[in-house]
Amino acid sequence: MSLHAHMTDYAFGHAFGHAFGHAFGGAAGHVSGLMPAQLASLSLWGERAAEFFRFEYAFVVHALLVAGMVGLVAGIVGVLMVLRGMSLLGDATGHATLPGVCAAFLVTGTRDPLALMLGALVAAGLAAWFVSWLSERARTRRDANIGISLSLFFALGVVLLSRVQHSPGGMQAGIDQFLLGSAAGVTREQVVVVWAVGLTLLTLLLVFYRGLAHASFDGRHGAAVGVPVRALEIGLIVALSLVVVIAIESVGVVLVAAMLVVPPSTGLLLGRRLPSAMVWGGLTGLIAGTTGVFLSFLQEGLSTGPTMVLVATALFLVVLAVVSLRGRAGSAGAGVRR
Amino acid sequence: MMELLLGPWVEGTWMMRATLSASLTAVGCGAVGVFVYLRRMSLVADALSHVALLGVVLAWLVTRSLDPVLMLISALGVGLLTTSLIGRLAATRLVRPDAAVGIVFTALFALAVVLLSMFVRDAHIDLQCVLYGNVLGVSDRALRLLALSTPLVLLLIAALWRPLVVGSFDPRWGLAVGLPVLVAHHGLMVATSVAAVAGFEAVGAILVVAMFILPAATAHQLARTMPGMMAIAVLHALASSVLGMYAAVGFEVYPGGAIVLAGGALYAAALLYASLLRARRPRAGAAVPSPSR
Repeated sequence: MSLHAHMTDYAFGHAFGHAFGHAFGGAAGHVSGLMPAQLASLSLWGERAAEFFRFEYAFVVHALLVAGMVGLVAGIVGVLMVLRGMSLLGDATGHATLPGVCAAFLVTGTRDPLALMLGALVAAGLAAWFVSWLSERARTRRDANIGISLSLFFALGVVLLSRVQHSPGGMQAGIDQFLLGSAAGVTREQVVVVWAVGLTLLTLLLVFYRGLAHASFDGRHGAAVGVPVRALEIGLIVALSLVVVIAIESVGVVLVAAMLVVPPSTGLLLGRRLPSAMVWGGLTGLIAGTTGVFLSFLQEGLSTGPTMVLVATALFLVVLAVVSLRGRAGSAGAGVRR
Repeated sequence: MMELLLGPWVEGTWMMRATLSASLTAVGCGAVGVFVYLRRMSLVADALSHVALLGVVLAWLVTRSLDPVLMLISALGVGLLTTSLIGRLAATRLVRPDAAVGIVFTALFALAVVLLSMFVRDAHIDLQCVLYGNVLGVSDRALRLLALSTPLVLLLIAALWRPLVVGSFDPRWGLAVGLPVLVAHHGLMVATSVAAVAGFEAVGAILVVAMFILPAATAHQLARTMPGMMAIAVLHALASSVLGMYAAVGFEVYPGGAIVLAGGALYAAALLYASLLRARRPRAGAAVPSPSR
């Protein structure tokens, strides 16, 4: 929360008293004691929009860079997940990052972004492994495994969060900001990390594209012709965990899953072949991410994460309406071929 | 030891009220969860428990009150809207069924969070409650809601027991012999929505799903008949509430998280027991309940 306050000071300092201390009205602000947000007037929106597009505040640029990259990578990687019927694995890994973030904070005692991201990555990987372990070893309904993993990890996160809030300086760490995301707190180092991870992932996707495409559509055939299906699967899950980890700062752990499902589904509606579906998915994610940042800057009380998701959903609905009006028949993943 | 066990109960009524609300939530969700789990609809339960929040927020925005009956009706409406949206989206055959679930509930949950953070100011619904639940400060209103919803849910299940059981294993046979299998299915969705909205105040909107799945998954490891599975699920629900409350008080952590972790520990114990049983008696140990009609 102090991060929020810090950004507020920062914003005030640079805006010479402009009334947008509540820019990116995030999740943390209204836990108690604040008045409900009012819809700003049109003129105020205009003022803020002008302010936004001058890009003179570093935190606006940081937020845009991070949300755009996150939307792009999530949209692209998500297409592969959705095609494999693993749409909701992102939900499990997303929620699972909470205990990782809290544990990293409790161990290091600082809010060092790299440490928190490392904690989140370990937790996300563990959750994905736990889902597949349950599927293979426990005689439990497969669909229940995601729910079990998600809720157990999130419960552990909630328990650790109570410890965080008891710990000295814990309340000020703003760990609970990770729940619903707040793009206002993004620092320069985080931008660098997010872009480094994002660009690496995109490069790896390009390098391994053929194998991934093969494994997505016909794993058995892929295996038969010598595609290392199992290794690619593990690689994809690592990629998913990385996407989740770079997303939690801006989107929040609760709604990461949405960015891994909604833009990719839009991409699958638009693209007729896998490459174009991935491009469209990434593009929709990018638009949703950046528009989400813009809208949450305009209106007090709009958290960045939920706003991104709502923009992505609006895009999805428009595309769905257009596609179904044009009557393109087809099954899920529509006409997507390799 | 006695001090540890009894201490919380004598320091005012809060332990009583918290345990009562947690148990009521857990028993309602656990009973519904047995069928939800057997029908492989765990993710629909996840979706319904997330959107219960939207129902509550909408009810508050329209009426500015948190009347229990109103909340139940609103949550029911939103729950039905959600299942029909998921169904219609999947029926276009343009979106995969699991992606349809993911799209609908995350979008509606995001909408609920935005509405909540922009327009709602009330002591009893805020983001804390959404994410962690609030059994320690449970209000009379929430207790009344639970006292209404849990018996309602249990009655519904009792009334629909036979078609629910048959529909979970062999819906075609049920239809052929004229059982109201479809009615039972819709009844189950209603019960899920009701249990979810009543439960989210206890453990938070995100963790409610554990209250549905964990008791059933535990019972699935151990039970051999449907009544047995139901009994074990309810026992698991009660035990995890009480153990979780003690853990929450003892370690000073959020009860929602502690209750779910206690449930997870019981599930792990059941997994271990079932696998030991399987190792000793490879054939007999497969504890999958058969439909006892």
